[in-house]
Amino acid sequence: MKNKHHVVVESKRLKYEFDIKRNITVIQGDSASGKTTLLDLLGTHSRFGKESGISLQSDVPCVVFGGDAGLWKTILEAYQDSIVFIDEDYQFIYSKDFAELVQASSNYFVLITRQPLYNLPYSVQEIYGIRTTGKYHYPEQVYHEFYRIYNDSNEALDKEVLLLVEDSKSGYQFFSKACKQGECVSVEGNSQFVGRIEDAEENKKVIVIADGAAFGAYVAKVTTIAKSRKDVMLYFPESFEWLILKSGVIGIKDLDAILAEPEKYIESKEFFSWERYFTDLLITATADDSIKKYDKSQLKPYYIEGKNKDAIIAVLPEELRKIMG
Amino acid sequence: MLRIYFGEKEDVMHGPSWFRFNYDEEWLADPFVEEMMTDIDKSHYKGGQLIESDVLGPIPPEKLSGGLQTLICIYKRPDLVFNATSCGENCAKWLIEIGRREDITVNLRYYMPFDDCGDIEIEILNENIKVTNAKDYMHEALKYV
Repeated sequence: MKNKHHVVVESKRLKYEFDIKRNITVIQGDSASGKTTLLDLLGTHSRFGKESGISLQSDVPCVVFGGDAGLWKTILEAYQDSIVFIDEDYQFIYSKDFAELVQASSNYFVLITRQPLYNLPYSVQEIYGIRTTGKYHYPEQVYHEFYRIYNDSNEALDKEVLLLVEDSKSGYQFFSKACKQGECVSVEGNSQFVGRIEDAEENKKVIVIADGAAFGAYVAKVTTIAKSRKDVMLYFPESFEWLILKSGVIGIKDLDAILAEPEKYIESKEFFSWERYFTDLLITATADDSIKKYDKSQLKPYYIEGKNKDAIIAVLPEELRKIMG
Repeated sequence: MLRIYFGEKEDVMHGPSWFRFNYDEEWLADPFVEEMMTDIDKSHYKGGQLIESDVLGPIPPEKLSGGLQTLICIYKRPDLVFNATSCGENCAKWLIEIGRREDITVNLRYYMPFDDCGDIEIEILNENIKVTNAKDYMHEALKYV
């Protein structure tokens, strides 16, 4: 499935309105914010239709997984081109088998859970809480909306920095060359960030750059440790390939439109995460050009030198630009 | 005292479903439960099976939030181990408070911060370590979630 899907589900007293635009969305947050009630509304509408007194506006079917957890695979494989909501009570959502199903599915999945889903590459941008706005007293209708829980954080980089990047390949090769105010280190795996931040010397400011498109399972831990240290800057671009594409150093037809609304171009069945789409787009676009040919394991000089390097740096947040050159 | 086992664990109770089929009506009239109900669910016990929610109007106990249902189970049945992952961060101070009143053991599968909960005393069962401040708790807990 492609595209952003606007969903409005409404009863006399409750209204939820939100957009779903990637194959995996996670809802978490405080107790009593309305997560289970949202599933109750959608599940009841799915069962009884408009006769339930619940109205649903969506251009694709919205279904709630229920029933026998032992048959989850059979049931989920029956859905096509739908938004499937699943509550945290189902332990299968943490399994590798479920990740494999999601990878090959034409559905978008909305998972309600606080527990990290380490087998799924979900985006830090698609982790939401639910909040109420406006009037708040029964019997008036209460309006619920989604809000992003995790965001980039800024930090004045006024002293030596320790720049931590996840990969040991192209991203590391770029940032280790570009960073002029300290050391760039590859942590070699998302699960290593917490330990490296904890161990960082106190006299250095720490910068974390990770591929936001697939960092969802790790963002809570990294944000927690970053807050405790108080001098950590977090930057989660979609991926390093996204930075290259955004910089304009590679000419691709309709690139501005693609980057403005990737969901219109990314088929969930083909790409497990947006990170993989951007990598594929870059590799395909440069395949026939020996100078620009993008190879994740060995970044060509084309990207690391001169005005092209400056163009990639120009995509970064202002504070980061100051320490690059 | 509050004891926590982090990560996947067998034989722990799922609070919301346990509550739904096993709660005692008298639990709801407990002043401490009423305090939690007001704070977390913005709801008020009216007697019998009736609860008045600011958002949903009149509701039965089965419609309380999964987090509150789990906290009530933890408080009223300290002999059982419940999965406190059903409890959001707004339940943290109440979990600490229950631990001050009863010896309880819970399972957690996400990092629940206890930053604004006053004095804490938690035993982390994965390594049988006792922590008494939020920072030590964080360093230990992040190893397991």
